[in-house]
Amino acid sequence: MSTVTPAPAPAAVARARAPHVTFPRVLHSEWIKFWSLRSTVWTVAATVLVMGAVSWLAVFFTAREATSPSTKPQDAAELTRLLHDPGLILTGTELAKLVVAVLGVLIITGEYSTGMIRSTLTAVPRRLPALWAKALVLFAVTTGTVVVAEVLSWLVAATTLHSHDAALDLGSAETQRILVGGVLFLAGIALLAFAVGAIIRVAAGALATVLGLLLVVEVLFRTLPVDFFRQVSPFLPATAGHQLLVTQSSIEQARTTTSAPVLDPWVGFTVMIAWVAVALVVAAVQLRRRDA
Amino acid sequence: MIQARNITKHYGDKVAVDDISFTVAAGKVTGFLGPNGAGKSTTMRMVVGLDRPTAGTVTVDGRRYAEHGSPLTEVGVLLEAKAVHTGRSAVDHLRAVAATHGFGRRRVEQVIDMTGLHSVAGKRVGGFSLGMGQRLGLAVALLGDPHTLILDEPVNGLDPEGVLWVRNLLRQLAAEGRTVFLSSHLMSEMALTADHILVIGRGRIIADAPVADIIARSSGTSVSVRTPEPGRLADLLRGPDVTVTPADDGRLEVRGTSAQVIGEAAASAGLVLHELAPHRGSLEDSYMSLTADAVEYHATGSPSTAPTTQTAPVPATRQAPDSKGTYR
Repeated sequence: MSTVTPAPAPAAVARARAPHVTFPRVLHSEWIKFWSLRSTVWTVAATVLVMGAVSWLAVFFTAREATSPSTKPQDAAELTRLLHDPGLILTGTELAKLVVAVLGVLIITGEYSTGMIRSTLTAVPRRLPALWAKALVLFAVTTGTVVVAEVLSWLVAATTLHSHDAALDLGSAETQRILVGGVLFLAGIALLAFAVGAIIRVAAGALATVLGLLLVVEVLFRTLPVDFFRQVSPFLPATAGHQLLVTQSSIEQARTTTSAPVLDPWVGFTVMIAWVAVALVVAAVQLRRRDA
Repeated sequence: MIQARNITKHYGDKVAVDDISFTVAAGKVTGFLGPNGAGKSTTMRMVVGLDRPTAGTVTVDGRRYAEHGSPLTEVGVLLEAKAVHTGRSAVDHLRAVAATHGFGRRRVEQVIDMTGLHSVAGKRVGGFSLGMGQRLGLAVALLGDPHTLILDEPVNGLDPEGVLWVRNLLRQLAAEGRTVFLSSHLMSEMALTADHILVIGRGRIIADAPVADIIARSSGTSVSVRTPEPGRLADLLRGPDVTVTPADDGRLEVRGTSAQVIGEAAASAGLVLHELAPHRGSLEDSYMSLTADAVEYHATGSPSTAPTTQTAPVPATRQAPDSKGTYR
């Protein structure tokens, strides 16, 4: 072995000089981990493709139906209104949220199922820096991915929208809020899924919980005509966060038709962030307390 | 130096480690032996903070593992070969672990060279053989050039060349003043590698002594003597600590004293000796008798695999054929 330090220096000196674990280093480690798995790379690519494809489909068919002679006039008016809704190109968000939820769950449960977590926690025995670094990498990657996905969604829809005089007004504050909202909403979903994964540790259980929440619980609460459900539904994480993608006029309209609370965009997003924060705190406490 | 003070670990109702204290000294290879389920891995996991002791503390060079600013230069750990994401390549795994301490690409290349992983470094770990996984685990353990090494079954699945390499490496690291703490079920290998032995059974430490002392306690350690007057010699030698057993072929098996004492006693009594041969017991013999009461998972199919009582004499046929300590 050629690497043994000959250092006759006292151990204390050697120790002071030893490379320490720092948060930027842990972040770098998590960054390497993220991009060195095929599954995560594929998930990122899938997010972009799903959002682009759904945007194109939504805009293309909405435009076609809006101008089709066989469409009834009141439907055509509704479709034209929809075509001018900047949220239309983000229709893919509904599917993409499932993809980023899977990503959030897998980047942490994959470590538990393979035993990797023990390597992670022996390298970072204080544990929490590893959790925060992973969360931050997930947030950064999801954000970047959704920005790219939105650009693609806009590009594939631009021609159709333009020809219907519905081109996105990037200067409008509401359009900006909705586009940023798509990014923040999906990043929030990814972090929520990540926290659930960190708490449950087992991929199957965590996926069932997250997808069950997004696809079953929230949908049931939204649709069942039970007053309790209708009152609580707006405060469930994905429902609340999704308000960021809704135009103010749609929110006002919803308020005239329902007795249930309809949250303002940023209020809804704050509610979602509160869920994410609580879940992450529970995950952090669990990680500190439980054996790995 | 690893110091455990009264550490206890419960998993639900089960007591995995029961109030044990021990010190693993620097500059030596300390072997950690015990039957399956005795608490070896749990103890090692507690040293590096993966499991939290129910009670007690364990420190490495005076601090709890998690309190070290640079854990990987402090302690290198191999707890199980595949604590690695199966979808990641060996080199990416090493890069990711190295990044937490800011070790560069060069250090990663060095440990890949040291552990002979070159040909598979770019391949995904999921397809690795047991031995290759073990080499990767060793590479991670060596990444920080640590003061202390904690290795659970490091040679498990390694080829003979790999076993020899690990043995020499560990002896060299100990000679440099580092602390080496390893578990293994391969007694002959342990006898060659370790200076000191810690035996754990049913969650308690049942022996903590230098290898030589452990082997000397073995029921297999005896002196074989041949003389024309066995009766007289036996009377001469028998004492409170010394037992003399006649063997079938006329030899005497003497336990509890040395060949030197026997030879001198015979000479002063004017007795002729035709043979005076010390038999060193093996570490395996000692281990078997030490842990006879502590084995939790007996193989019931073949009763010969484990002695049933602590005092049962060990038949000659059970001596480890490959043990360096055995003279025939």
